[in-house]
Amino acid sequence: MSEISYKLNHIQHYYGDKKVLDIDGLQICRGSITGLTGPNGSGKSTLLKIMAFALKPTHGQVWLNGRKEFVLSPRVRSKVTLLTQKPYLLKRSVFDNIAYGLKIRKDMGDIENRVKDALKSVGLAHGDFARRQWHELSGGEAQRVAMAARLVLQPEVLLLDEPVASVDTKSAEQIRKASLAARKNWGCTLIIASHDLPWLYECSDTRISIFQGQIFSTGTENIIPPPYDLSQKNHPVKWLGQNEKSEHIHLAPGKKNNKFAIIQKEKIHIRLEKEKANGWENQITGQITSMVMEKNAELIMTTIQAKDFFIDISLSPDQAENLKLLPGKKIILMFSSRDIEWR
Amino acid sequence: MDFLVAGFIKAVELLINFDQGTWSAICATLRVSTCSMLLSLGAGLPAGFLLGYFDFKGKRALRTVLDTLLSLPTVSVGLLVYAFIASRGPLGQFELLFTLTGIAIGQTILAFPIVTAITASVVEGIDPELKLTLLSLGAGKKNIITTCLWEVRYGLLAAAVTAYGRVLTEVGISMMVGGNIKYHTRTITTAIALETNKGLFADGIALGIVLISIAFAVNISLSFLRKK
Repeated sequence: MSEISYKLNHIQHYYGDKKVLDIDGLQICRGSITGLTGPNGSGKSTLLKIMAFALKPTHGQVWLNGRKEFVLSPRVRSKVTLLTQKPYLLKRSVFDNIAYGLKIRKDMGDIENRVKDALKSVGLAHGDFARRQWHELSGGEAQRVAMAARLVLQPEVLLLDEPVASVDTKSAEQIRKASLAARKNWGCTLIIASHDLPWLYECSDTRISIFQGQIFSTGTENIIPPPYDLSQKNHPVKWLGQNEKSEHIHLAPGKKNNKFAIIQKEKIHIRLEKEKANGWENQITGQITSMVMEKNAELIMTTIQAKDFFIDISLSPDQAENLKLLPGKKIILMFSSRDIEWR
Repeated sequence: MDFLVAGFIKAVELLINFDQGTWSAICATLRVSTCSMLLSLGAGLPAGFLLGYFDFKGKRALRTVLDTLLSLPTVSVGLLVYAFIASRGPLGQFELLFTLTGIAIGQTILAFPIVTAITASVVEGIDPELKLTLLSLGAGKKNIITTCLWEVRYGLLAAAVTAYGRVLTEVGISMMVGGNIKYHTRTITTAIALETNKGLFADGIALGIVLISIAFAVNISLSFLRKK
């Protein structure tokens, strides 16, 4: 079994009275790539800040390499680094921005070449960029410089919070490449929060979904998000779409406070037409939005949109071929309300 | 208008001929203002950083007091310092009344709230991403403080310039605490006040030109630093 890098125990975090994170337990293996998905405001950034030891959780402990660690601990300062969606570049040259982390560690040996290599790893030429000032960069270039400032430290753990969300295609590609090279070259543990699901499915060993501060799955489950219509006590439903009350998902009875409806991916079936009397109460019309090969699984991660509801299922290439599935194709999602659990 | 023109001509003569009284006032002004600025920056920058960076109970009240002190009347400061350093005052034993040190103490009290309040405002305006970036690059507490201050260096320069302007141009403290003693505690501003009262406009104008030149030189130097 792989060595554990991170262990999170009973983490809770509040902003004022609002609980934004509630994680009972989470473990990350050393050298692995973990994909973190979830809608905006679900707690991804807060979780990454806590894991970067840049934010003290209200309750709970974070363990790194078997030791309980905390904000500003000298042991983690040289090991863990975080790149945010809009990182801050210091008001100095590109070279000084990248060299900053090395300088404060008093690790100045061969600094010129190390900065050069870091710039190269994100696709920026040392000669063109090293002497430029922070305000002479485009958004994508600034993000790549920020990435280089992390990579030059050769961190043990690299946390990426939406690293390619607001950059151009070329910069996004360079950042993706550089992050994977970090794992390959020095076994860096990567934890990536992103809405770029194809990238996450392609590169991550493990996937975690986070919703309203809670971790729900390791890539095997789908959350059917609230609000739920509980007007009929034994027949709760989830309406699809904003205004119209037409198509809906029949949920299992037994909803309790603060619980979410969950369904395993394997319990969802795809058909091309609706079927009568097949025992599945839920037959939802949807459209395939993306199909991506999963890393090491020989399965196709298929994302389907049914009005405002997105659902992921894993299909074998044979299944996809038999049904002639392609992005854009309309299909029917079938599942039983008995397979929906409240958690 | 003739007296103004004559004043300018006399001013140039006084400066070129190194008039002892004029140059004594210039030197006294530079000595006390430099000393009070060093003291107020030394105390005001860290105090302003702490006030702007950290949240604590009573912070708002402290800011209100500090903001009020921005418009502290110089004669009030002069009076306060006079009361403390006069022979009957609690610090009378140090014999600071009618000395340049006494003026410097008063000017430090005048400049300290300006440096602190502006530094606090500048630090409060620091992008929250900066701290996150510094933490994620492995900065310790000391690195965070020094780098944050360096990042807002232009704002801090503005604080220093504002405070220097106030110190350089005040009359109340210098007059009350210094006593306007020729060749000893007479500063440019007290000399201008005295010479004008005596009807010696030329001397007043000469000193006024020097005062404006000093302010101009300080701003030019800071502007040069900003460009660098």
